[in-house]
Amino acid sequence: MKNIRFYSLLLFIFLLLLWEIAAGNMSELVLPAPSVIFHTLIDGLMTGYFTAHIIRTTLEIVLGLILGSLFGFIIGILMGESEFLRKLLSPYIIASQAVPKLALAPLFILWFGFDMTSKVIITALICFFPLLENTMSSIQYVDKQKLELFRMLKASRWQTLIHLKIPAGLPGILAGLRVAVVLAVVGAVVGEFIGGSEGLGALIIASQGMMDTPLMFASLILLTIIGMVLYQLVNIAEKRWSKPYMKETKK
Amino acid sequence: MEFLTIKDITYGYQGTSPVVDGVNLVIKKGEFHCLLGQSGCGKTTLLKLASGLLQPDKGSILLNGKGMTDPSYECGFVFQSPTLLEWKTVMDNVLLPVSLRRKLTEENREYATALLKMIGLSAYDNRYPTQLSGGQQSRVALARALIQKPSMLFLDEPFAALDAITREELQEDLLRICQLQNTTVLFITHDISEAVYLSDRVAVMDKGSIIYEEEVDLAKPRTMEMRYGSYFNDLCLTLRQTMSEGRS
Repeated sequence: MKNIRFYSLLLFIFLLLLWEIAAGNMSELVLPAPSVIFHTLIDGLMTGYFTAHIIRTTLEIVLGLILGSLFGFIIGILMGESEFLRKLLSPYIIASQAVPKLALAPLFILWFGFDMTSKVIITALICFFPLLENTMSSIQYVDKQKLELFRMLKASRWQTLIHLKIPAGLPGILAGLRVAVVLAVVGAVVGEFIGGSEGLGALIIASQGMMDTPLMFASLILLTIIGMVLYQLVNIAEKRWSKPYMKETKK
Repeated sequence: MEFLTIKDITYGYQGTSPVVDGVNLVIKKGEFHCLLGQSGCGKTTLLKLASGLLQPDKGSILLNGKGMTDPSYECGFVFQSPTLLEWKTVMDNVLLPVSLRRKLTEENREYATALLKMIGLSAYDNRYPTQLSGGQQSRVALARALIQKPSMLFLDEPFAALDAITREELQEDLLRICQLQNTTVLFITHDISEAVYLSDRVAVMDKGSIIYEEEVDLAKPRTMEMRYGSYFNDLCLTLRQTMSEGRS
């Protein structure tokens, strides 16, 4: 298994070569060759053509993620702690989940305009649920003996939440964040598809209009990179924070 | 002088026969009391009632002359499993009861260090619980229960999951510490020789009632040899017979 990364890289190069050969026999409009796309990408980055779009989309994703996760976390805590709130709100939460949220995008653009606000809100709405769900269930199913321990120590409800339920639920909460990150990219891009003049999603729509397929691929690659970087960041945070929870395998 | 008095307490769930049925128990100051019984006899419930985690349907519990309606800071509790917080270091786990009450002082830290030393874990204060063996985790749980210098200690089969040698070591540690601080102890177990070795007084519980009580007439401190003496084994046999008679 040691060389697995090497083989993975080898596979990547092989696929690129295959693509390059296939693209040789096709119109650039349908399938541009990797070399052409790479040229467009580097060119766009050097001239600064992509800069504004990258910043815009990243900002939408990050802001939406923070906003949605924060609300999801807070409501998740409230619903996890109070059975009354849980029963009161869960039909609404389920209903809001059943609505395909991307289908709401046109409405949000109508309400919040064509600039960043509408995209941030769409992204936030999509990130909200995984955090809510994971937070709610993680803090509800804490080991019973640990709860008894805290009762024995006369801990207040607040102390039990802060010192027991949230730390104990942290691995589950972070797993929710990992799901939310991936969804955030989708939210921001779809928002830009529907209404926007700036951002990588808008650029994809524009390149479609201009029949500039290499540009479209270059934007896709940039989006993939943004998604992967964010995912890795959450992964690193997860590894760091949940390290003590794992059984040590090597000494 | 009586320290913990349990007066005629009954506890049960609706529609079934009571789990704890009219139990009376008196534990003197500094006494090590063992409660022996098979699983399902209600001993854990009795311990939870005695420590204030559960409220009895009938009867009363007095700790040092005062009625107990709630867990008390004067009591320490050790659960069946170590129940350590995985995200806190060994040191922070031991200090948890104090840190929930007020800001930690240098004195608290010194005492925690001393406790860790006493149980032979001084070098582990910065480790996390998942890095420790089962026996080490049980030791940390014991140190945590002792950090507030409780006058009363409740233990619910704390050593049941450990191997024989580790269990004996921990029994020694427990006896030594309790004698040092003159702690009153209510210890629950299903292991007959553990009960005899540890306690000043042993009671057998069955179907929610105490069916037998006996002083253990062995000198303190206890030694390894006592485990193989005739008095020790006779008492074990008597208790064993009482337990099986109770069943039938």
